[in-house]
Amino acid sequence: MPDLIVARNLRKTFTTPVGDVPAVNGLSLNVRSGEVFGLLGANGAGKTTTLRMILGLMKPTSGSASVAGFDVATQPEQVKRSVALVSASAGLYQWLSPRELMQYFADLYDVRGENADRRIDQLADLFDLRSFIDRPCSGLSTGQQQRVNLARSLMHDPPVVLMDEPTRGLDIVGSKRIFDFTARLKEMGKAVIFCTHRLEEAQRLCDRFGLMFRGRLQLEGTLTELRQKSGRESITDMFLDLMEEHKSTTEESMQAQPVAAIPAQEGRSA
Amino acid sequence: MNPVSEHVNDVPDRQKNQPDAGPAQQASSPFFRILRLARKELRESLRDRRTLVTLIVMPLIIYPLLGTVVQKFAIQRVNPDSPPAIVVFDGSISAELAAEVLEERESENVQSEKGKVQNVADATGNPTKNDAVPSMEDGASSLTGSSTGAAIGSLVNNGSLEVPPIRFRRYESLVKAEYIGEFLQSEDADVGVRQTLPVQDATTGRIQPADFQIVSRSGDAFSLRAAVEVEKRILAFRDRQLRMLLDRTRLGSGMMSTISRQSVAGSGQKSSPLSAFLPLMLVLMTMTGAVYPAIDLTAGERERGTLEILMAAPVSRAHLLTGKFIAVLTVAVLTAVINLVAMLLTLYATGFDRVILADGATIEMFFQILGLLVVFASFFSAVLLSITSFARSFREAQAWLIPLMLVSLAPGILSLMPGVHLTVGLAFVPLVNIVLLGGELFQGTAATHLFAVTLLSTLVYTVLALRVAAGVFGSDSVLFGSSAGVWAFAKRPSKIRSQIPMEIGIGWLLLLVPLFLVLSGLRSRVVALENLSGQLMLSGLLTFLLFAVFPAAITKWMRASAVDVFALHKFRIATLIGAALLGCTMWTIAYQVLVFSKAPLQWLEILDNGKLKQMAERLTSETPFLIRIAALALIPAVCEELFFRGFLINTLQKNSSSWLRPLLISTLVFAAFHVIVDPSLTLERFPATFLLGLVLCGIRLSSGSIFPGIVMHALSNGLLLSLKELNPVLQFIGLNLQVENESSLPAWFLATSVLISCTGVGLVWLGRKRGGEYR
Repeated sequence: MPDLIVARNLRKTFTTPVGDVPAVNGLSLNVRSGEVFGLLGANGAGKTTTLRMILGLMKPTSGSASVAGFDVATQPEQVKRSVALVSASAGLYQWLSPRELMQYFADLYDVRGENADRRIDQLADLFDLRSFIDRPCSGLSTGQQQRVNLARSLMHDPPVVLMDEPTRGLDIVGSKRIFDFTARLKEMGKAVIFCTHRLEEAQRLCDRFGLMFRGRLQLEGTLTELRQKSGRESITDMFLDLMEEHKSTTEESMQAQPVAAIPAQEGRSA
Repeated sequence: MNPVSEHVNDVPDRQKNQPDAGPAQQASSPFFRILRLARKELRESLRDRRTLVTLIVMPLIIYPLLGTVVQKFAIQRVNPDSPPAIVVFDGSISAELAAEVLEERESENVQSEKGKVQNVADATGNPTKNDAVPSMEDGASSLTGSSTGAAIGSLVNNGSLEVPPIRFRRYESLVKAEYIGEFLQSEDADVGVRQTLPVQDATTGRIQPADFQIVSRSGDAFSLRAAVEVEKRILAFRDRQLRMLLDRTRLGSGMMSTISRQSVAGSGQKSSPLSAFLPLMLVLMTMTGAVYPAIDLTAGERERGTLEILMAAPVSRAHLLTGKFIAVLTVAVLTAVINLVAMLLTLYATGFDRVILADGATIEMFFQILGLLVVFASFFSAVLLSITSFARSFREAQAWLIPLMLVSLAPGILSLMPGVHLTVGLAFVPLVNIVLLGGELFQGTAATHLFAVTLLSTLVYTVLALRVAAGVFGSDSVLFGSSAGVWAFAKRPSKIRSQIPMEIGIGWLLLLVPLFLVLSGLRSRVVALENLSGQLMLSGLLTFLLFAVFPAAITKWMRASAVDVFALHKFRIATLIGAALLGCTMWTIAYQVLVFSKAPLQWLEILDNGKLKQMAERLTSETPFLIRIAALALIPAVCEELFFRGFLINTLQKNSSSWLRPLLISTLVFAAFHVIVDPSLTLERFPATFLLGLVLCGIRLSSGSIFPGIVMHALSNGLLLSLKELNPVLQFIGLNLQVENESSLPAWFLATSVLISCTGVGLVWLGRKRGGEYR
C-alpha cells in the first residue's frame, strides 16, 4: 500500500510578543491507504497545527509534507483537492438546504454538472439525508447537521481524510456515528488522520498511533508496538508516563498552551 | 453499500491518475466558477430576514414617513397661524405708515401692485420664477383649497422654501420713542419703528426731514428678518408717496423706474438643500443595505466555523472574495434601486419633485443616478469587505464598522454645506464626489468631465479596497487568531529582539498623523503665530518628540535593540560621499520635479500658492538663519530618518533581506505625510518628496545604515533653505536663480546635477553591504 500522507521533520514556530514558541517540533509520520492514524495528545500539543501544515493552511517553518504524491509547498491546489477536512467546529450555512450546501462544495472543489448531482445522490443515500435534503439547515437536528457535515466533506471523494477532534462536544450517538464513519472510510481505502484527546475511543478505532507531547511525536506505532516500547497496557497509562517524564518542564508547557490562540506571524520567526 | 465498494477500487487508480487529473479539472473558466460561488452567497444573504428588512421594509416605511413629515413641516411654514412678528410703533408714526407696514391696505391696492410686478416680468420676455415679496394672501388662498399639494405648490411658486413669508401684528399701544428699546429687550415686541420729528434749522431755515429708525434685537435672527421686511415696506411706502407727489407735478410718476426681483436657474449652483440631502440619503441607505451581507459573508464565516473548511478548498482567496463581493454588491444595488424608486414615488406623490428636481423625474436622470449608485455601491462594498475581513466575529465587525459609518458621514455632511460644489479636486474625494454629483444630477447640472473623474476615481478606490480585502480574508491571523491576540502585544516581552512587531509599528504610525496635526495646531496657542522663530523651534521640538523620542521609547519597552531598529550600523565611506553628493544635487532634481508636477495640479483647481509664497518669504526674512536651518533641516533630517528609514523600515521588513515592501510603503508614507501635515494640502509636493524618499530609502537599504541618509537629508533641506544666502555663490558660477518665480532651472545646471547625482548613486552602490553583513 502506498503512503498517502507523508510528513518529514515538520516544524512550526510561532513568533509571539513573549518570544518564539515551537508548536510543532520535528514531526515525521506516514499514513497508508486504508489506514487510520490516531494523532493523540492533550489540548495544545500541536495536533491541529500539524493537520493545518499537512493541508497547506499553514506554512511550516521548516520540513516538508506531501499528500497523495503532491508536495504541499509546491502543489497546494492538488493537495487540497485530495483532502477532506472533518472538524467538530465546522458549521453549516443556516439558510441553505443540504442539497444547496453540497452543491456549493461541489463548486468549491470543481465537481460539475451530472457528476455533482450523482455524487449528491450517492452521499444522500450513504448518510440517509433524503428526508430533509431540501429543508434549510437551520431547521435540522444536531444529528442531521452532523450527517450533512460528514457528507459535505466527502463531496469531492478525496483519498485522504483529516479529522480534527471530530467527536468534540458530541453525545454517545454522535460519537458512534463518527466511529462508523471512520470505519467506513477505512473500508473505502482512505488514508485517515484522526486527531483526538480521547484516548480510549482512539484505541478502539485506529490502526496506528502517534502520541504527541509538547510539539513532538514521543511514541509512534501500532498498539502492540507501543505496548512493547512503553511496557504499559493502555494508552492512557502511556500518556501519564510521558507527563511524568517531562514533569520538570510541564509548567512551562502549560504556559505555552495558548500558543494556538495567538495570531501566527508567518516568516517572522528566527 | 454499493458506492462504498465502488470507491475501494477507486483509490489505487486515483493514485496513478492524480497528477494528470489535476490540470484537467482546473479547466473550468474562473469567471463562471466565481459566479457559481456568488450564487451561494446571494442565496444566503437574500434568505436572511435581516437583509430583507433593510432591503425592502426600510425604504417602504422611511420615505413615505419622511415625505409626510417634511410636507407637514412645509405646510406649517405657510400656515397663517404661525406666530407673527410684533411691531411696536412710536406714537409719532402716522397711521398710514403703520398700516403699510402691517399690510392693512385695501386688497384692490395689493392686486394692482402685484399686477405691475407681473407685467414687468412678462415684459422682459423671461418666464422665470417670480420672486416678488410674498404676501400672506398667497399662502392663505392656496390653503383654502385644503389640498396639501397646493401648499407645496405655493411654496414652489414663491421660491421661498427656505424663507417663509413673515406676518406682522401691531403692539396694542403706541409708546414713546425712547422706550422702544426696552420693549424689544423684554421681548414684548420683535421690531420697533420710531422717527425723529422734522426740525427746522435755525440758521438756514431748511427743514431737516423726519428720520425713520427701525430697531431690532441684536443676535435674534427672527427680529432681524422682521426689521429687514419692515424696512422694505417703509421704502415701498415712501416710493408710493413720491410717486403721488410726482403725479402732482408736470413730470408725473411715469418717469420713475420700478424695481422687481427675478431669479433664473443658476449654472450648477444648488438652490435647495434638499437636492444635496436626497443623494446623501440614498448613499446612506445603500450603505445600510450592504453592511449586513458584508459582515455575514466574511466575519460570519469565521463565526459559524465555515471559514476553515472554505480555506481548505482548492479555491483562491481572491476568487472566494470576488464571489462575496458580487453578492454584497448585488444586495447593495437592489437596496439602491428600491430606495431610489421609493424616494422618487414619494417625491412625486408629495409634490416635492417640483422643488428639488429641475426638470421633474426623467427616465434619463433615474438611470444616471442609478449608475452613480452602482459605482458607489461597488466602492462601499469593497471597503466594507476589506474591513469586515479583519473581524473574527459578528460583533467585532460591527464594532469596526461604527467608526467607518461615522467617518463616512463627515464628508456627506460636508457636501450638504451651502456653497460646496463639485470641483475636479473634490471629484477625487471618495463619497463626497458621489454625494455632490448626485445632487447635481438631480438638478440636471452635472458636467461630463466631473462625472468621468468621479466614476474613474471611485473605481480605482474599489479595486484597491478589493485587493486589501483579498489579502486579509482568510489570512492566517484571521483564520487562527483570537480576538485576545491583539492585547498580547501590549505585554512586555522577556527576550531581547531585533525587530519591532508590525502591529506596534503600524499602530504608532496611525497615531502619529493625528497627533502631529493636533499638536501642530496647539503650537499657535503656546507661541503667537507672528513669532515665527518660536513657531519654528516648537515645530522642531514636535518633530523630535514624535519621530525620535516616542519610537525610541517603544523600542525600549519592546526590549528591541535600538541599533537594529534604527539601523545605527557602520557604513562605508563611499556611501557617505555618495550620499553627500546626492544631498548637494538631489534638491535641484526634486525642485524640477516640483515645477513639472505643478502644471497638471493647477488644472485640478486645487492649487492656490499665493499664501504659501507669502509664508516662505516671511520665513526667510523674519527668522535667524541658524534657527531656520536647525528647525527645518537638521532636526527633520535626523528625526525623520530615524523614524521613516529606521523604525518604519525595521517594522515593515518581513525578514532581514526583504526590501521592496518596506521601500515602497515607507516612501509612500513619507511622501503622504509631508502632503497631509501641510495645512494647505500641497499635493504638488508629493512627486518630489516621493523621489527624495525613494533615494533615502535606497541608501538606507543598500548601506544598512541610517547615517549617510541623515547627511543627505540635512544637506538637501539645508541647501534649499539657504538659497538666498548662497545667491552670491550661485551667481558666481553663472546661475541666476529665481526660485521665487518657480521657473525651470537652466539645462546645463540640471545636466550637471544629474551627472553628480549619478556619481553619488554609483558611490552608494559601491559602498553597499555585501553578503552576510547585510542587515
